[in-house]
Amino acid sequence: MAILLILVPAVFALVCLGLPAPRWRVAAMVVGAWAHLGVVLWSWQGQLEPVSDEFLGIDPLGHLFVTLISGLFAAASLHFLGYHRRALLSQRVFLACMLGLLSALSVVCVSQNLGLLWVALEASTLAAAPLIYFHLGARALEATWKFLLMNSVGIALALLGIFCTALASMGGGADISLSVKELVVHGANLDSAWVRAGFLLAMVGYGTKMGLAPLHSWLPDAHGEAPATISALLSGATLNAAFLAILRAYQVCDAAGLGAFAGRWLIAIGLFSMAVAGVFIVGQRHFKRLLAYSSVEHMGILAVAAGLGSAASYSTMLHVFHNVLYKGSLFFIAGLLGQLYGSYQIADIHGALHRYPVTAFLLLAALFAIVGLPPFGLFYSELGILFAAGRTGNWWVLAAFTLFLCVVFVGMVTAVLPMAFGKPDELTNPPDRTGHVEQWRHAVMATSAALLIAGGLVLASYQPTSVRNALERAAATFAGPQSSSRVAVCAPGEVLP
Amino acid sequence: MLQSAIDSILILVVLLNLAMLATSRMAACIRTFALQSLLLALLPIAVGIRHETTPGAHLYVIAAGAVGLKVFLIPWILLRVLRTGEIHREVEPFIGFTSSVMLGAVIIIASFAFAKRMPLPTEAPTDLVVPVSIATLFNGLLMLVSRVKAITQVLGYLVVENGIFIFGLLLLEQTPVLVELGILLDLFVAVFIMGIVIYHIRREFDHMDTHLLGEPREV
Amino acid sequence: MTAVRAILFVPDVLFLLGVGPLLMSVIAKTKAWFGGRVGPPWLQPYFDLQKLIQKNAIYSKTTTWIFRAGPIVSLAALLTAATLIPVLSNESLLGFPGDVILLAYLLALSRMFTVLAAMDTGSSFEGMGASREVTFGALSEPALFLAFVVMAVATKSLQLSEMIGPKLLPEWQIAGPAMILVVGALLAVLLTEACRVPVDDPATHLELTMIHEVMVLDHSGPELAYITYGAALKFTLLGFILVHAAIPHPGGINVLGPLLRAVEIGGLAVLVGIIESVMARFRLNRVPMLLAGATVLSAIAVVLVLMRRAA
Repeated sequence: MAILLILVPAVFALVCLGLPAPRWRVAAMVVGAWAHLGVVLWSWQGQLEPVSDEFLGIDPLGHLFVTLISGLFAAASLHFLGYHRRALLSQRVFLACMLGLLSALSVVCVSQNLGLLWVALEASTLAAAPLIYFHLGARALEATWKFLLMNSVGIALALLGIFCTALASMGGGADISLSVKELVVHGANLDSAWVRAGFLLAMVGYGTKMGLAPLHSWLPDAHGEAPATISALLSGATLNAAFLAILRAYQVCDAAGLGAFAGRWLIAIGLFSMAVAGVFIVGQRHFKRLLAYSSVEHMGILAVAAGLGSAASYSTMLHVFHNVLYKGSLFFIAGLLGQLYGSYQIADIHGALHRYPVTAFLLLAALFAIVGLPPFGLFYSELGILFAAGRTGNWWVLAAFTLFLCVVFVGMVTAVLPMAFGKPDELTNPPDRTGHVEQWRHAVMATSAALLIAGGLVLASYQPTSVRNALERAAATFAGPQSSSRVAVCAPGEVLP
Repeated sequence: MLQSAIDSILILVVLLNLAMLATSRMAACIRTFALQSLLLALLPIAVGIRHETTPGAHLYVIAAGAVGLKVFLIPWILLRVLRTGEIHREVEPFIGFTSSVMLGAVIIIASFAFAKRMPLPTEAPTDLVVPVSIATLFNGLLMLVSRVKAITQVLGYLVVENGIFIFGLLLLEQTPVLVELGILLDLFVAVFIMGIVIYHIRREFDHMDTHLLGEPREV
Repeated sequence: MTAVRAILFVPDVLFLLGVGPLLMSVIAKTKAWFGGRVGPPWLQPYFDLQKLIQKNAIYSKTTTWIFRAGPIVSLAALLTAATLIPVLSNESLLGFPGDVILLAYLLALSRMFTVLAAMDTGSSFEGMGASREVTFGALSEPALFLAFVVMAVATKSLQLSEMIGPKLLPEWQIAGPAMILVVGALLAVLLTEACRVPVDDPATHLELTMIHEVMVLDHSGPELAYITYGAALKFTLLGFILVHAAIPHPGGINVLGPLLRAVEIGGLAVLVGIIESVMARFRLNRVPMLLAGATVLSAIAVVLVLMRRAA
C-alpha cells in the first residue's frame, strides 16, 4: 500500500517526461495527481495494520499528512490547468518535477526510518527548485538560489541530528537503529545528551525547511516569486512535511523522557516566528509575500502547539488540517487575482467585489478563515491551543500567542480588505488593459479554491466522527494518549467545561 | 600504525579546510575539496580494516560511491561551470582571507573543547572523529556565509556534507547501505542542480556575485 | 660546571660560532646548483667578514649613539642566546627552567635594536623596512611560543635543552602528527626570522621587496660585519632548535651524535636552499597569511597534544 502511494506519482512523472504534446502532458499531470488522491482515499477503507516493515509503513500520523498533501495536490493540478500559459521553462521538466515532488512527499509521510525520511525530504527540496524558476528572470533566480542553498544546508544539519539520534540509540550497548518504532520502544535506554543534541539539530535543520524564524529568510522570496500553484504547494505541502519530520523527532524525544525539553525549544522558536511574521505582515505591499509571511506565522503556531505537548496535540492536528486547505486556497486566489489585475502589488488590486464578485467573495472567505475567525476550523484549533497553554500553566505563552495573533490579524485584514472593497479605478487599471483571462481559466482557478474552502468549512462545522477519530489517532501517535484534550475542542453544539 | 594513519588523515582533513579558507583561486579550492573527499573516502576502508581482518563489501561500495561522486563527478561539474565563466578568482570576502583562516582555527579549537564535553556512548575508531567532524562542519558553514561567489558557496555546502560524512563514519558499520547511498545520490543531484542554477546566474547577469543578485526591494 | 664538562663544551662553542657563515655558503651553493652555476667559493662569507672588519666605518651626521650601539647590542644578544641552545650534544652551555622565555626575548632584543638603529637614520627607506620587520616579527612570535608550549607539555619541562632533548623522542610516537605540525611551524618561523624566501629575498635590493636588507643599508665597516655575522648566527640558532626538535637523539655520550648533528644542520641549510630555489617570494600582503598559518599549525598541535595527554 505504501509502495503504491510512492509509485503512482513517480510513474506519471515519467509519463509526463515522455509524452510529446504539451496538452497531453498537463492532462497526465492532472490524472496522476487525482490517481494519487484515489489511492489515498482507498487506503482509508480497510483497517490499518500496525507498522511492521522497517522502512515504510503508514501510521495514523503519516496517513493524515499524506491525505492532506494529496488533496492539496489534486486541487493544485486543477488550478494549474487554468493558470498555465506559455511555458518559459521546459514544460516536461516542470510537470515531472511537480509529480516528483508529490512522490517525494509521499515517501516522507510513509517513511518509518529517519534516514529514509531525510533522503526523501532532501529529494523534495531538489524537486521543488526548478519549480520556483518557472517565470525566469533575476528575482526568480535569486529566490531559487536562496531556496536551494538554505534548504540544503538546513537539511544537512538535520542529517547531523539524525546521526546524533542514531548515536543515542547505541546508549546502553544496544544496536544502532534509525527506525522510529524501535527508537520509541527503547526510549528509556537512549543516551540523553545525544538525544538532546539530535533534537536541537533536527529542529534547526527541519525548521529551516519549515520556515521557522530566524531561518525563514528564503521563504518570502521563494513563495513570492514562484507561480501561484507552486507557492500553494510549497506552503501547504512541503512546509507541513518538514513539520512531520520535526514531529517524528519530537516522538523520539518524548519517548526518551525529554518531552519537556523539546517542548520548551519548540515553543520558543514558534513564538519568535509568530513575532517576526507579525512584524513583516503589517505594512506589506506584495500580496504573495504577505501570504508567505502568513505561512511563517502558521508554522510558528504549529511549533507552539507541538511544544505544548499532549495537552494541545489534537489542536495541532486540527490546525494542520485546516491550514493546508485555507493556505492553499488563498494562494490559488492570489494567482487568479494576479492574472486578472496583472500585478501582485496590493496597491494595484482593489475593487474586486465590483468587478469579480465570486472571486472577491472567495478571497474574503479565505481571509477570514486564515486569520482564525469562526466558523472556520482554525478558530477552534487556535482556541484549543490557548486552552492548552492555560491548562499547563504557560501564561506568558498564552499572552504572547494572543498578542501576535492580534498583530497578524490587523496586518492581514488591513491589507486584504481594500483589495476586495473600494471602487475599481477605471483610469489606472481598466478591465481591457489588464491581463486577459479567459472565462474557463477563471472558472477553473476559482473552482479549485472554492473546493478547498468549502471542504474546510464543511468539515469544521459538521465534524464527522471519522475525521475526528483520524485526528485523534494522529495526535496520539506523536504525543502519547491525551488526557482530556477533547474537552478543550469546542465544536458547535458542544458545551465548554 | 593504522591508528596513527587514521589520525593523520583526519588532521590533514582539518588542515585542508583551512587551506580552502585561505585560497582565493577557485579552481585550487575545488581541487582541494576533491583531495579532501579522496582522503575521507579512504577512511571507511581503514576503519574497517582496523576492526576486522576483512572489511565488509558494503564499505567498499560506499567508498567507491564517495570517490566516484565527490572526487570525480562533482569537481568536474564545478570546474566546467567555472570554465564557462570568465572569473577564476574569489574577490575579497566580507571577512578577509587571513581573518577567515584565524576564525577557522578558532572554530577548530572550540570544536575540540566542545567534543570533550560530549562523551560517546560507544567505541569510536579514534577520539578525533567528533571534533574533526564538528570543525569541518562549522568551517564549511563559515565558507558558506562569508564568501561572495556562488561556486565557493556551493563548496562550503559540500564541506559541510563532508563533515557530516566523518560523523557518519562512527556509525558506518551499522547504517544501512541504502541510506548511505541515498545521501550520496542526494548530494550529487543537489550539486548538479546548483551547477545549473549557477550557469543561469552567469547567463542572466555577467557575474557570480550572489550578493549582487536581485534589486533592492521592500520588506 | 666542572672543568671536564667545560672542556667538553669547547668543540660545541667553536662549532656554533664558526659554522654560521659556512651554512650561508651552503645555501648559496645549493641555489647556484639549481641555477646551473658554480657559485661563490665555500669560504667567501669568511673573506667578506674579514674584508669588512678591516674597513673604516662611516656614520651619518643625523644618527645618534643608537646607530652605533644597534649592531653591537644585537650581536651581543644573539651570542647570549647561543649559550642556551644545545648544539652538537644534547646539553647546552647554560640552562635553567624558563630559559625559553629568555631566548625568545633575546631574539626580540636583537631585532629591536636593529630596528631602532634603522629608524635612527631618519630615512624613510629604512623606516619602511623597520615597520615590515616589526610586523612580521610580531606575527611569528605566537607561532614560536605555541611550538614551545607543545614541547613543554610533551616533556613537562621549561628548560630549552630538556625540551628539545631526548625526552622529546617518545612524543613522536604518541602524537606524531602534532610534532609534524610543530616542525612545520618552526620552519616557517626560521624562514621569517632569518629573512629567507618566501618572506624576504636576501639577494634583492629593490624597494618593493626588501625587509632585512633595507634596514642595514647605512651600516658600513665593522658594524656591517657584526650584522652579517649576526644574521648567520641567528639562522644557526633557530636551525639548531629546529633540528633538535625534528630529530631528537637518545641520551648518552657517543661519537656518532655530534657528527650526525653536523650533517643534519648541513641538511637543513640545503633544504632552505632548495626552498629558496623553487619558490618565489610571497606578495607582501600574503606573508601574514603564512605566519598566521604557522600560528594555526602550532595551535592545532597544542590542542592535539593536550587531548592526548588528557585521554
